[in-house]
Amino acid sequence: MGITRRRFLGYAAVAATAGLRGRPLDLWRLGRSVGTSRSCVLLDLKAHGCLSDSVSGYESVLTSAGVRWMRAEARSVSPARGAVLIVPAALEIPPAAVQAIVSYLQAGATVILESGAGFAAGREFRVHRVELRDYLRVRVEAPVQLWSAHTSSQGIPYVDYSWPHSAKVRDFSRVVPLGPQAGDVIAWVDGLPVALKRHGGRGTLVFLGSPLGPALWAGDAEARRWLFDCLGEAGGCAEPAIS
Amino acid sequence: MKKAIGDNMILKEWGLDKGLELVKQAGFDGIELWLGDVPWFQMSTTDSEVRELRRKVDNAGLVVSNVSTGLHWASPLSARDPKVRALAVRIVEREIETAVLLGTDAILLVAGLVTAEVPYNEVYQRCLEALRPLGEKAARAGVRIGCENCNAEHRFLISPREFWQFLNDVNSPAVGIHLDVGNIHDTGFAEQWIEIHGPRITRIHVKDVMKKRGRCGDQSVYTNLFLGDNNWPAIRGALTKVGYDGWLVAEMEARYRYAPDLQFHDTAQAMDRLISGRL
Repeated sequence: MGITRRRFLGYAAVAATAGLRGRPLDLWRLGRSVGTSRSCVLLDLKAHGCLSDSVSGYESVLTSAGVRWMRAEARSVSPARGAVLIVPAALEIPPAAVQAIVSYLQAGATVILESGAGFAAGREFRVHRVELRDYLRVRVEAPVQLWSAHTSSQGIPYVDYSWPHSAKVRDFSRVVPLGPQAGDVIAWVDGLPVALKRHGGRGTLVFLGSPLGPALWAGDAEARRWLFDCLGEAGGCAEPAIS
Repeated sequence: MKKAIGDNMILKEWGLDKGLELVKQAGFDGIELWLGDVPWFQMSTTDSEVRELRRKVDNAGLVVSNVSTGLHWASPLSARDPKVRALAVRIVEREIETAVLLGTDAILLVAGLVTAEVPYNEVYQRCLEALRPLGEKAARAGVRIGCENCNAEHRFLISPREFWQFLNDVNSPAVGIHLDVGNIHDTGFAEQWIEIHGPRITRIHVKDVMKKRGRCGDQSVYTNLFLGDNNWPAIRGALTKVGYDGWLVAEMEARYRYAPDLQFHDTAQAMDRLISGRL
């Protein structure tokens, strides 16, 4: 599946240090609790991410909204620091990032994990899918090009969110649809499920198969409101100072 | 002011050598080289081949006015796909590299492409993000990037103040505007663009446009100088007002169907009249 022995050992170590005894899937059997910190951490995957505009989008909105947040690399993330962990435009998810995600969930935080694999092909996408499946138990299907079959007469294939409130956000040309799995589907586009909310550890995982960051970066008001409400639901971040 | 014409006007069957000879005979001072549009100047053209290209231009008694490209229509800086964006950046970098090899200090790019799929605000932000580091690279190379006003064709930066604000946001002295006086169509007046952008103009494309002939963006509306609706005395006056003394580059999108060599001569003579102000 394209994962090297070295990387496999890295993930195994993550599972062990996360107290999961080599069974990261058990994470999802635990209940949820409310986060205690009031800050938000933006996990910058750098070379492992693929959309710099997505990172910029979250940065600009968190800053302009007066949310207390910090940008961190996976190895320097401390779970005690935040109620929300945002992982923008993930492509390859290195062991340190998996560890950060798992530890946040275990600590009762909300993790917003955004897939950046819409434009990935071949091995890149296969690795992404395996990492999501094996270490975070998120099942995704191959990317779908929304615009190839779309004509202007059919309008824009907006992503329709149903949680935490209904919102209509610009698509990003390609989406990574969800496969069948546990959890609540919270967004659809063109009949495809593209976002998931699921309890994990004591926290909540929100998986986005259509990146929100570029819409935030472009100033999409509904995308911003959706993020604020999501942060509000997490109970961890300050109310936004702007609409 | 000096006058040049694009090498994409040279018919493929003529070849570069014959084309350069014609350009010189017609009275042009220089030639605009189009990366990716002509067989002799591609992304795969090596540095040594580019030097040979310069030698041919020199031998013809011409200079390279600037490097341009149409490759960004297919691979725009504003693409959502990171791989396409990386290619777009590489195209600009290659333009800068070849400009240095060719002894010119200006390149052209089409900064962004707004489509039904990729909306304006995204295009704006992505172009800024791309152009800031590219501006630094260009400055280090002693080259200026001229973002062309393609107005209705790229549906981006359609008014002169919008373009002016964009350049303010890029905030690099190495990034300016490659003004095309034929691209403004019925969205404004070329002379006003000249007045607003003044020293930020890196090069000027000249062609005429028949506004009454159809919608913006339809190439059939373009025509040779003085056949269309551009107000050439006003354009000439604005050039004097802002002190523009650089290159005027003919971009004749409508070609002569017969006697294609004559278009080079006619265009050069029309540009002489424009430069001299005898309108």
